[in-house]
Amino acid sequence: MVYTAASVAIPIRAALDTFAAREHVTVQQENGGSLDIARKLTELHQIPDVVVLADYDVFPKLLMPNQTTWYAEFARNRMVLAFTDKSKFASEVDSANWPKILQRPGVALGRANPDLDPNGYRTLLTLQLAEEYYEQPGLYDKLMKLSPAKNVRPKEADLVGVLQAGEFDYIWSYESLAQATKLRYITLPAAIDLGTPADTATYAKASVKVAGKTPKDTLTIKGQPIVYALSIPKAAPHPGMAEKFVAFLLSPEGRSLLHATKLDALDTPVIIGSGAPAAVQAAVSAQ
Amino acid sequence: MEGHAAPRSMAAHRTASVVAALLGSLFLLFLVAPIGRLVVGGGKSGVGELFTDTELRSSLWLTAVTATFAAAVGALGGTPLAYVLARRPFRGKAVAAAILDLPLLIPHPVAGIALLLILGRESVVGRTLLQAGIRVAGSPIGIVCAMVFVSAPLYISAAREAFARVDPRYESVARTLGDPAWRAFRRVTLPLSARGLIAAAVVMWARAVSEFGAIVILTYNPKVVSVLSYDRFTGFGLTEALPVAAVLSILALIPLVALRALRPDRGAGTDV
Repeated sequence: MVYTAASVAIPIRAALDTFAAREHVTVQQENGGSLDIARKLTELHQIPDVVVLADYDVFPKLLMPNQTTWYAEFARNRMVLAFTDKSKFASEVDSANWPKILQRPGVALGRANPDLDPNGYRTLLTLQLAEEYYEQPGLYDKLMKLSPAKNVRPKEADLVGVLQAGEFDYIWSYESLAQATKLRYITLPAAIDLGTPADTATYAKASVKVAGKTPKDTLTIKGQPIVYALSIPKAAPHPGMAEKFVAFLLSPEGRSLLHATKLDALDTPVIIGSGAPAAVQAAVSAQ
Repeated sequence: MEGHAAPRSMAAHRTASVVAALLGSLFLLFLVAPIGRLVVGGGKSGVGELFTDTELRSSLWLTAVTATFAAAVGALGGTPLAYVLARRPFRGKAVAAAILDLPLLIPHPVAGIALLLILGRESVVGRTLLQAGIRVAGSPIGIVCAMVFVSAPLYISAAREAFARVDPRYESVARTLGDPAWRAFRRVTLPLSARGLIAAAVVMWARAVSEFGAIVILTYNPKVVSVLSYDRFTGFGLTEALPVAAVLSILALIPLVALRALRPDRGAGTDV
């Protein structure tokens, strides 16, 4: 049994299928939001063999040390600006001129709710970083004015259909989602796309306030790279098979399977924490 | 033999009554228990939040206004349709009735996308409206449109039944007495079916209040109560969502009870 963050469900499925055929085992996969998955373990005590989350930070915040003592960062994603052929100025927009194109009259820009969806607050972080990066004071406010409350939807996946229906010209999205839904997109400079672990220090300069534990609380979120991580819970029902699968996923073969299904697997996975099984450590140090 | 038949059928009758009562009670419990649990779990804090949570208050208000608008639009547009379906034989009636039921079986996010394609800013209608300064997506108008689309079929089919229960002979009599068709409808058919029509509108209103999937595509902000309770649940978990849901259940009872208690055609209805 594998619990997978919905945004990496398809790549992990592909790897699981190959693994299951080779080992002659049956696998089950349940997909959900990273926080939902963590709550399943901590509150409902449903323990899978492997947990794959879209936000590595959930491990130290919610699952360590009770559920597990380590996690492995193995893939990344990044913020992009997605659009369709029908979008206004679709033929002109590129990675350098996008702030200007978005500010042209009549352009509708969609974003996700920062209180509900990491993509929503990551959009705000990217815009903050953009103001700094392009040295244009006031850029954040200008771009936020372009996507007022009526252009917000609950989650980044909800934006895609609305974009395709023509209601938005551009949406803030993840590269993986834009690829999976066959949208056109432009990549952003590494210093602002939250996709480069090497730029962690730069990202940390940006921070936003979002709703905390109740609608009245606020929580400050600092910029961090978008890194996917996985772990094997201490109480996994089939630890041996889980170790085998994780070692497979982190191997060159596993990584190329992930790349083929549009997940940007890290060339060198990183283990955080201690107590990772020997098979997993061997797979990482073999890179 | 005949002497035995009567008590045996009595016993069978009694058994049937007991089984029916048991089934009925279980079913009632199934319908009422979840709502009871909501109200018990979140009622008190929910009512408290009515005074402190302005977002909840404005969301309840918005829901009441948009659902009432939607029910009014449904009654205005749906009544003639229902009447024609109940009274006039025409070719393809079964197909027409089936098409009118379609919005009920389309998954609601799909309904929202379909409406967006027709009323969004890239559509002919949406563009014309925008030029006139009327925005559908992202405004309360979008909420009303989504509500009407998913709930009007309920009104139409219930109103059609209400008309069908009125004996056409009454109308014929009024018309032989010299009333034109419209006046015969207004003076005879409408009063006789009024209770059924109100019941139909209540069902439509209630369905409109509960709509989420189509609304969230068209108009996420400003938030109706269904969207707000979803937001609170996904963002903050059960403790924040329960009060919203409980307050909605409690407040919705008021108009439902009031309208159900209305009996404008006392004595004439067949659905007492």
